[in-house]
Parts: sequence; C-alpha cells; structure tokens
Amino acid sequence: MNPIKAAAGKVVVLVFVRTDCPVSNRYASTIQKLSAAHEGKALFWLVYPSKSESAEAIRTHGREYGYKIPSLRDPQKALVKESQAQITPEAAVFDGKGHLVYHGRIDNLYEAIGRARTVATTHELEDAIEAALSGKSVPASSTHAVGCYISDLE
Amino acid sequence: MKPGLQTLSGFSIFLALALAAVAARQAESGRKVPSPAADSKTQVTFNREIAPIIFRNCSQCHHPGEAGPFSLLTYADVKSHGRQIAFVTQKRIMPPWLPETGETNFTDELRLSDEQIATIQRWVDQGEIEGNPADLPPKPAYAAGWQLGKPDVIVRAEKPYLLPASGSDSYWNFVFRNPVHNSRWLKAIEIRPGDKRLVHHANVLVDREESGRRLEKEPGAGFGGMELIIESEAFDPDSHFLFWKPGSPPYVEPDGMALRLDKANDLILNTHLQPSGKPELIQPTLGLYFTDKPATMHPILLQLENDRMLDIPAGDKKFLVSDDFELPVEASVLAIYPHAHYLGKDLVAFATFPDGTKKTLIHISNWDLNWQAVYRYAKPVDLPAGAKISMRFTYDNSAENIRNPNQPPKRVVAGNRAVDEMAHLWLQILPGESPDATSDPLLQIQEALALHHIQNDPEDFEAHYNLGALLQMKGDGAGAVTQFTQAVRIRPDDPIANNALGAVLLASGHADEAIPRLNQALQGRPGYFDAHYNLGNALAAQGDFAGALLHFRAAVRLNPQDAGAEANLGSALAETGNIKEARLHFERALQIDPKNELARENLEQLNRNSQGRPN
Repeated sequence: MNPIKAAAGKVVVLVFVRTDCPVSNRYASTIQKLSAAHEGKALFWLVYPSKSESAEAIRTHGREYGYKIPSLRDPQKALVKESQAQITPEAAVFDGKGHLVYHGRIDNLYEAIGRARTVATTHELEDAIEAALSGKSVPASSTHAVGCYISDLE
Repeated sequence: MKPGLQTLSGFSIFLALALAAVAARQAESGRKVPSPAADSKTQVTFNREIAPIIFRNCSQCHHPGEAGPFSLLTYADVKSHGRQIAFVTQKRIMPPWLPETGETNFTDELRLSDEQIATIQRWVDQGEIEGNPADLPPKPAYAAGWQLGKPDVIVRAEKPYLLPASGSDSYWNFVFRNPVHNSRWLKAIEIRPGDKRLVHHANVLVDREESGRRLEKEPGAGFGGMELIIESEAFDPDSHFLFWKPGSPPYVEPDGMALRLDKANDLILNTHLQPSGKPELIQPTLGLYFTDKPATMHPILLQLENDRMLDIPAGDKKFLVSDDFELPVEASVLAIYPHAHYLGKDLVAFATFPDGTKKTLIHISNWDLNWQAVYRYAKPVDLPAGAKISMRFTYDNSAENIRNPNQPPKRVVAGNRAVDEMAHLWLQILPGESPDATSDPLLQIQEALALHHIQNDPEDFEAHYNLGALLQMKGDGAGAVTQFTQAVRIRPDDPIANNALGAVLLASGHADEAIPRLNQALQGRPGYFDAHYNLGNALAAQGDFAGALLHFRAAVRLNPQDAGAEANLGSALAETGNIKEARLHFERALQIDPKNELARENLEQLNRNSQGRPN
C-alpha cells in the first residue's frame, strides 16, 4: 500500500529508520513523542528501506524501542524515491494533497556522525508538520539528515 | 600500666581522580597495514584491500557483543555500511583516535593512513566489488567471555542502574564492596560493563576508605557524578590507570607494577553511559586477576590542573587554562590522560628540558569527551630533574561549539557535572633516582606537587592535607600540624582532616588540643574507627581511662580484627581495674597479631602481678 495516497486529505509523515543504525535508534523516543503530539492530525509511518530486514526483525525492533507507530517495509525503495530520502533517520512530510513539502532531519541534535549536541536547538520536522497542518508554507523544504546512508542498503 | 601509643592510624591522602579508558590494544597498529599502491584505475576489492583494513582497525569493536552498533566482519556487513565507512574514515571520525601524530608514539595507535582512507573511498566509488575469495584474509577470531581467561575473582554490581531511553549522557558510579578477603597483588581488572554499546568508557578506582559507599543513597545502589574524589591511603595506590574503553582488551600490568588490594578496600567503577533509544539496565561485572609478584616499581599519578583559573565567560571562544610543574627528580612518563568536559577544544601537554628544548607529550586539536582515553607511550618519555611539564588547554564556550551544554552559553566554572568544566592532566610517572640518596624520590615529587597546588590555590584542601601527611611521614610534626590546620580551616567539618590533625597533635604531645579535633571527626563521621582509636589514646594520655575505654570499645566493635585496638582496650580495662576482661583482650590481640608487643608485655605484666599477689 502507499500510505500517502491512502491518507486522502491528511498530513502524512514518513520516518525512514533501520534496525542497526545507532542514530535512528537514538531518535526512537523523539519520533514516538512527535507522533503522539500530532495524533489524529498527522499520520506517522516508520519506513524500513532494507531488503534484508524481515517483518519479524522489524516487529522485534519496534517492541524494543517502544514504537507504537505503524511500520512499513520499502525493499523496492519506492517510498525512498518518493520522499527523496537518503539517510536513516530522515523524515518526509506530505501535505493533505499528497505533495512532498519537507524531507530531511528531525532536528539538529547531530551535527555529524559522532558530533552531537546535548539537546537539539532547532526542530525542523516539527516545524514542517505544524506548517503543513496549518496550510502554511514549510520554512525549509529540505535539510541534510545525519545518520546512515540508505544507498548502503540492498 | 599505660596504654601504649600504638601506631596512629588515619594518615590518608586525597586524590581527585577522574580516570578514563586506555588506548585500544590491538595486535597491530593500523598504520602498518600494507596497501598495494592502488591508483585510481586499479580495481579495489573487498577481499584483497578492504578486508585487511577493516579486520585490523574496525572489527575489534564492530563484532557481536562489542561496542560497535553493527558488525563489520563480512563482505555483506561492510557493503551495507560502505558509504558510511567511506564518510567517517575520511572525516577521521572513525576509527576514534584523538591525538595528533607527533614526536611521541603511543601503543596501539588507531589511525588509518591517508592511503588507506583513499582506498576505502575508491572501493565505494567503484561499486564495492567483492573480489577473489582466495584473497580474503582469515576473519579475526574473538574470544567469547573473559578476554584474559577465567578471573581469580568475579564481582558484580549489587544493583543495576536504569539508563533512560533518551536524554543526555549519564555518569554513574558502582561500588563493589570488599572484593578480596586478604591482601592481593592485582595485575589486571577486566571490566565487563554490561551492554557495551551503551558504555562509552569506564574506569576503576581503588577506594581504601569506603568513601564511595558514603555517597550511596541506599547501599549497593551506586551514585551519580562524572568525576570521583576519593580518599586513598598515602602514596602507593592509585598509581595506575584502570580503564576500559570499547574494543580494548584489559591492560595487564608488567611484573613489578602490580597494585595492592586489601580486604578493607572497595572498588568503584565510574561509567559514562549513552542512551540507546530504549531503557536499559546496566549491571557491570569486574574480573580480577592476581599475581604473586609484588610491586617493586611504584609509579605515581601526577596531576596538573588549574581549576581556579576555570571561569569561562559566556561566548568566549578561546579561553586558556595553563599549569606548569617542575620535576624535582628525574622521571619516566609512562602514560598520559588529558581530561576536559564539553567545552574543551585544544589540549596540549609538553615538557621543557633544563636546556630549553621542548617536547610535545600529547596534542589533541579536536577534543571529544566521548572518545577520551588513557594514552600509553610506546617508549617511556624520560625527563631529567628540573624538566618542566606544562599543560595548555583551550576552551570554546561559544554557541558555535555544538557540544556546549548551555544554549545560549553561560559562564562556566570548574565542577563535577557535565555542564561544569575541568582542566586536568594526569601523567603516570615512574620516578628515577633521587640526587639526594637519602630521600625517597616518590615523596619528593609528592611534596613538590602539593606545594605547587598550594601555590596555584592557597585554598586547595587536598594539597594542604597531602602536604601534612607527607611532612608527618618525614617526621616533621610541626609542619604537619600547620598543614592539617590549614585543611581544617578550609573544611572545618571534614572528619578526615580533623582526625589527621588530632592524630598529629597527639603524637607531638598535645593531647588536650587533639581531643576537640577528634571529637569533631566523630561528629562528622560516626563510626569512624581511626577517630575512636585516636581519641581513646588521647583520653588515655590525659589519664581519662574511663573515657578511653568507651572509644576503644567502639573501635573494637568497628574493626574486630585490629590487634592495636584490642591491646589498647586491654590496657584501658587494666587501668580501670578490670583485669579479668583486660586479659581477654590482650589474648585476643595476640591471637590477631602474635607480634603485638603492647599486648604481650602487658599480659606478661599481668601474669607477674597475679603471681606476686593472691587472687
């Protein structure tokens, strides 16, 4: 299924993750909290773009990290392409018309691999969701995410 | 009969320790990996060029059960992180190695050559070819379980620490109570921190005065804090860096460099933990390895610091903290450990020889607390007497320092929390011969160091305390009184300083002045064996045997294995006329220590007396 087309009229947020990417794992509670804060308004999906991560491995991963968001496998990278995602974790926001309005980092916790702030000081994903929900234009349509390359995956 | 003034206990020394991990000890340094001269046209394959680089520099952490978040052992493993690896090696984020290449080499340097980095890059650009299976070197084998074999003693933290799923890093200290039942020589400690992905580094401190326990809110629960200040008995211990960092097998001390561990000692494990995204229970285990060979060499940990200078204005991008210490005797530097928190940027240590030439001891131009380590020199750095050791640490307290824990930046001073700063340089040095053959070079360095710290900061409690203890060892009672008095002035309630001052006053014949100090020590720390013992002696010296009796009884209750306390209790009992019970305690003292002279002489005296007159 395509979660973007299926969600007619609603804002959709895809978050690309990988079971063995330490950066995306460290974001688990941030992602979960963002989804809870927009419950009923924005539909969140976790997207696992790896061919080799089984549905079982994904379920276990979701349990361990306390995810309540539904998850999808994207072995053909269809959603990756549609979202122009390159990294895990990377988020993509689609407005009610199914247009990609933002893709990039969740926030600026990481400046680079191995260079993290104590706390994030900008929150690009949240800003993009708020803008999409209120029909305003998103402050930045794309940012660079920090983490693991999706292109490394089969 | 007078209670003998046995050895006064309670000479302790303070060392503020904040130790860290030691450099990884792989079999071979990454720099020696031969790499075929591959120009941009040569095809790079995993099996031929990449696997040897990965196996020697990455797999030690990146294998199951180790700290690396994923394994790098097979073609599929490496391919599924190929671009990632090309990126982090090019940025020199991985493998983690902070020191610049310099005049001194460290053991187990973990640094890729420019050529190796270019080779990885080329492999990725060329499409990550696997290559001929015949070229693949054997996969590295890693021992499961204890790296040094079965330890002599295994201890586990009593209670686990719950690491939250998210948030900033945690610093937690675990107390291991009395891991040995009699004195042993420790040659290695293997630290198994639990899930190694969560523990950035850990280090062990020997706590000879139960100071860690007193910081626990409930017994066995451990306590928070980035640095530890523990008391330790004078001069031999804490001369070793006991360290763990991901991917490094435990360091085994060479013969003659073992560390003494007594039955009354605790071990404290100081850990730096990083949330993983899910809640985790951390319950570390330590494996202790002993040797029969006692220590014949006594290295010491020498600390340069200038915390008093640490007052960094908000926004300051280049705040310098410096300290210089002149060695009074020749010494070899074995290892070095620079330490700052999140504002530290450029950390340099160098030595200046008496002829003016300089030698860089370490230079870290992009400090990262997360990868702090103890660095051991491949060859000890020999410094002559009169050589000056210097530290120059630069701090960035601007908003551009992304690690700045305060956004917007705030004024930052020295302290123990992650939001405070620290400017410490530890060196493990082995003193050489003293030019003056009559004095112990170890003590000469300690004394020079204490004086140096007092010069930097006249309010330095530990330095006054240490100097007092040193002067007392040298037999300079008056000098010791002066220094302990300063320590007590700075911290009027400190039980250890009060006890030490009381003890030295008593030893120099001022029991009257000693008594209030010892009472103060007991007020600050009820159940303080040394203070009870010393107070018993002080009261006895004043002729107050009834008072002395109470304190010796308390001392014996606190430490039933102390022959001196038993003998003194016997003496006080004899003085108050309770000959029957006195005899029991003299006998008990001799049971503990057949060589206890006070007990033997007093017992003989009692026997002579009882023969002389009817019962």
